[in-house]
Amino acid sequence: MENRSAKPQSLSRRGFLKVLGGAGLAGVAATITGCSTDQAGGKGWMPQQYQVASSWPVQVRGRVPIDPANPSITRDDKKCILCGQCIEACERVQTVMGYYELPIKDDIVCVNCGQCTLWCPTGAITEVDHTERVFKALADPNLHVVVQTAPATRVALGEEFGMPAGSVVEGKQVAALKALGFDAVFDTNFTADLTIMEEGSELVARVTGELKKPLPQFTSCSPGWVKFCEYYYPDLLEHMSSAKSPQQMMGAIVKSYYAKQKGIDPQKIFSVSIMPCTAKKYECQRPEMNSAGKMIGKPEIMDVDAVITTRELANMIKQKGIDFTQLSDEQYDSMLGEGTGAAVIFGTTGGVMEAAVRSAYFLITKQNPPDALLSLTPVRGLNGVKEASLEIPGVGPVKVAVCSGLSNARKILDQVRADLKAGNPPSYHFIEFMSCPGGCIGGGGQPRTSLPPSDSVRQARLDSLYTMDAKMYKKRLSHENQEVLDIYKNFFEHPMSHLAEELLHTVYTDRGKHLTAKNKA
Amino acid sequence: MAKGVLVDLTKCIGCGSCTVACKLWNDMKFQDNEPTMGPVEIAKLSANNWTVVQYYEIAKDDGKVWRFAKKQCLHCQDPACASACFAKALQKTEAGPVIYYPHLCVGCRYCMIACPFNIPKYEWDKTFPLVSKCQMCSTKVEKGEAPACVSVCPAGVFQYGEREELLKNAKSIIAQNSSYVQEVYGEKQAGGTSWLYISDVPFEQLGFRTDIGTIPLSTYSHNFLKYTPVVAVSWGIILTGLYHYTKRRNTIAKEDKNVKL
Ligand code: SF4
Ligand code: SF4
Ligand code: SF4
Ligand code: SF4
Repeated sequence: MENRSAKPQSLSRRGFLKVLGGAGLAGVAATITGCSTDQAGGKGWMPQQYQVASSWPVQVRGRVPIDPANPSITRDDKKCILCGQCIEACERVQTVMGYYELPIKDDIVCVNCGQCTLWCPTGAITEVDHTERVFKALADPNLHVVVQTAPATRVALGEEFGMPAGSVVEGKQVAALKALGFDAVFDTNFTADLTIMEEGSELVARVTGELKKPLPQFTSCSPGWVKFCEYYYPDLLEHMSSAKSPQQMMGAIVKSYYAKQKGIDPQKIFSVSIMPCTAKKYECQRPEMNSAGKMIGKPEIMDVDAVITTRELANMIKQKGIDFTQLSDEQYDSMLGEGTGAAVIFGTTGGVMEAAVRSAYFLITKQNPPDALLSLTPVRGLNGVKEASLEIPGVGPVKVAVCSGLSNARKILDQVRADLKAGNPPSYHFIEFMSCPGGCIGGGGQPRTSLPPSDSVRQARLDSLYTMDAKMYKKRLSHENQEVLDIYKNFFEHPMSHLAEELLHTVYTDRGKHLTAKNKA
Repeated sequence: MAKGVLVDLTKCIGCGSCTVACKLWNDMKFQDNEPTMGPVEIAKLSANNWTVVQYYEIAKDDGKVWRFAKKQCLHCQDPACASACFAKALQKTEAGPVIYYPHLCVGCRYCMIACPFNIPKYEWDKTFPLVSKCQMCSTKVEKGEAPACVSVCPAGVFQYGEREELLKNAKSIIAQNSSYVQEVYGEKQAGGTSWLYISDVPFEQLGFRTDIGTIPLSTYSHNFLKYTPVVAVSWGIILTGLYHYTKRRNTIAKEDKNVKL
């Protein structure tokens, strides 16, 4: 476990605060003069924070365990004050810690969501830093460094530069990335649209019985949610859509399709993504996320090489002295840069569902959905669990559910389990899960604009995404994305083709054996 | 009545809260090169680390399991360290803790040799080095509060209370659950300790010394030290001289070691 501590001679933090607070001056004087006759140790908690009238330090509550090998989050012990806010996030919001029996088996259970980084008041818990890696790649003239930006970062990054919560900074973000020296700037919205094509086709195939997999289908875009299901509900993994998340689709395409079109050796491509999420750092290093490398016989090449959170990107921009607020808007690069309104709302809870419904309607009826389906209000907003039922001609009522925050996921998952056990027909056809409250806009890698995270900030970011969908993007349907249509024409042929299966779909791991799950929900 | 702590090692999740609590309460430095958590090779008790949590991977039921073991001074019933100290810098209190008074210490480090658990450490990095070890937060214990580490554990690893009560609890826990090793570590070791441990994997696999007899080691050291009062004064003078000499020598020795690291 690494302690990034101060130089040995430095005054300890508590000592500093003690001097600062003027508390225990006699003690300090005694220590300095060396004439204290006290025993060693035991002078108390930090002043102000813990020297309360009561003799029991109620504010000291312990913390979550973090594996030193955790690919997403890390902690600086020096900063930790044992306030227990991380437990609040992990146990109450995410129902991860405390939901397994002790003794533990062989894992420090964590779904890498990073919610604890948002709650930690001292900034002791942070994401595992990938910025060094990226700066190194950018400085290497032999590497072609590409970057993708997730839907949710464009409505949050500005907050790091003093802009109001929810400011739309899509164009400035592209400009900043170009200024940082990336060779190509792509939009994860492109693969969000692609995800809809694959996941939507899979849903249709499940509904029609063409694919022998059970309903409801679960969305698979949120890697924290996926790992949660692998740990606590491995019996339901068959329900998970096999479609990779947009980040991983982009990674796989960049080192295959894009490399081919541009005539670049995939081994010379360094692929970065800007994400609102710490679990993406974990996702990109899952052993199976090397599809492009496997295709060319180099399985050691990973599809995505580094994941930068919104906060880390802000740091990079600040480090390079770029005046973010003064940048003028720039455009994403073509081939993998087009996105629709359906894709941009992936960044919020309910968005994947709404986008999928728009295109599923088209895939089934071969007609674009009616206007009412372009504003699916029942699945919008910050409620933890939402439901809707829609009429799709030729199919009948399609029942969907949306949940965000893993404690809410449990409610729906327990319902699915109960249905299965009772032999009832499924309550839903399609369920969207997002690990973080509010979806990616509230992701564990987003700016810490309020502590603990507040719904007003989430709402501002969410509103901006819907505004972009309704007013700023020309197209609102994934199946109308021209670059997506091109990639099917030039490369994949059609959704769920053999090549698409190879590059865009994945398999899951039963992690149930690493813990004894408790049923507390 | 003497207080004690019962540690149920099966419940530890390795969060390290206890190690941070110890640093916060006792105002101790975090050192880069001295982690408080990790495998036994890297997380070691030191003058700055009065407690550490060591990670072990252990073969169990045809598989591997992870276990974490918090280590600190065990606060012996009849402490060898205190017996070895003619300067009375180490004293066992009525309440249970074995505490250290720096102003009495001459730096002879007999306690380090005497302790069967290899607990007391020397402040190699200080100009006027002292011996250093867990105090069981005796200032808290005196007020009826649990030690700092004990009060922060979010996983319910510790029980704090009368040692005799805890021993009874421990025995009933292991009697009711056959997955525990049927032994309470600290009941008899070195004549008994204030900290008691129960575990579902053998103690020696968690780095606990199991070759310690049940006779308090102080019995031997009392014999050995029974003439010390007579020579204490002269020894004191000699030792004070040696103190600075050794300090220098050890600083040099440590620098050598650092080069190797
Ligand atoms: S929230 Fe941060 S400061 Fe508080 S206990 Fe957790 S890691 Fe420590
Ligand atoms: S990342 Fe998420 S699951 Fe892991 S410790 Fe933090 S809150 Fe818990
Ligand atoms: S464990 Fe060692 S240092 Fe602690 S009381 Fe016993 S003999 Fe003394
Ligand atoms: S605080 Fe408790 S659970 Fe955490 S490491 Fe210490 S003993 Fe283990």
